Amino acid sequence: MAAAMRGVAFIRNIVGSLHLRLQILGGASQQLSCLHTSISLDSKHWEKNNLKVYPPQLLDEPRRPAEVYHSRRQIKYSKDKMWYLAKMIRGMSIDEAIAQLEFNDKKGAKIMKEVLLEAQEMAVKNHNVEYKSNLYVAESFSGKGKYLKRIRYHGRGMFGIMDKVYCHYFVKLVEGLPPKPEQMTSFDQAKDYVQSLKNRTIIHSL
Amino acid sequence: MKRMIFSVLVHNLRCSLLRIENRLLQITGLDAQLAPSLAVNGPSLLPRIDQDSQHDEEQTTSLLDSILWMAAPKKRRTIEVNRTRRRDERKFEKVKYNIEPCPECGHLKQNYILCGFCYAKVCRETALIRQQIKEMEGGPLRAPTMETVVLYEGETPSEQDREKRIVERPRKRPAWFSH
Repeated sequence: MAAAMRGVAFIRNIVGSLHLRLQILGGASQQLSCLHTSISLDSKHWEKNNLKVYPPQLLDEPRRPAEVYHSRRQIKYSKDKMWYLAKMIRGMSIDEAIAQLEFNDKKGAKIMKEVLLEAQEMAVKNHNVEYKSNLYVAESFSGKGKYLKRIRYHGRGMFGIMDKVYCHYFVKLVEGLPPKPEQMTSFDQAKDYVQSLKNRTIIHSL
Repeated sequence: MKRMIFSVLVHNLRCSLLRIENRLLQITGLDAQLAPSLAVNGPSLLPRIDQDSQHDEEQTTSLLDSILWMAAPKKRRTIEVNRTRRRDERKFEKVKYNIEPCPECGHLKQNYILCGFCYAKVCRETALIRQQIKEMEGGPLRAPTMETVVLYEGETPSEQDREKRIVERPRKRPAWFSH
């Protein structure tokens, strides 16, 4: 019974990975993207993004920028504290991000800097990135890792369950210059406000 | 954990309230639980000879009086409220604009602060000099009452170094250590 279950899970894994590869080779048909294939606890989905292979580009297509996905798992740090650092470096060029993390006093900053340097090296070695400075942080976020539980003793024979927190850190580097966030001028904001007032309509009217 | 202590306090409150209720009922004479009792005119306070309850009541009343009841949250803070507090702009990590490259080694450094790499380099050489001095002295509290001068390979003590202790280092003088 257990062997049969394991066999079924094994087959499902193979089917899932084959499915993914066929999707990639078939040019990513949009219909199957909404299907939610099962994800077990140990699946490293973020790293699998690196295995995605696009079909060769045509001459008139604009050059697709290289993307590198990297992560570190089970970092002994809080995901909430890590989030602040991840938020800081979002959208920065990689040199800027590494400089900021070097002079930040938090524990997570040192770990994040190591991850960024690893990702940069990976980009140059495996992902056909020409210049290691020509990268920017497209996505950066933290996730909850598997916690260990311990007992915290209180007075009067009471106890609480203490969580030893761990977190994951994910980063995506893309080749090219970092995109500039659009600056809204005050005139444009006023124009948008007036337009929103003009768009108001009476519902169920003639 | 907080819920457990809260439940204990709630239990205490409940006991005290029950006792107050009983007392009130006795005063008004509405409780008919006492069967064998003296027939007394009018309502009267029956003094209970129960010492335990008195003792407990004193304790609970004093607890209530002294702490003026514990502060406790009235409602659960919603995730929206929590998010707006945690993601407020002043809680973000501030970006530093005072980072520049060190002119000596090329590593990054902060303005008006020593470069970490150059400082480590100096620390290493200083440690070796200190080791040399330790060997020369041979024990604690044996420092001579004169100045010390560090000389590298191919250097002779000058006229100023006549009355100074000389520490020799068997290597070329580093570029950052001027004579």
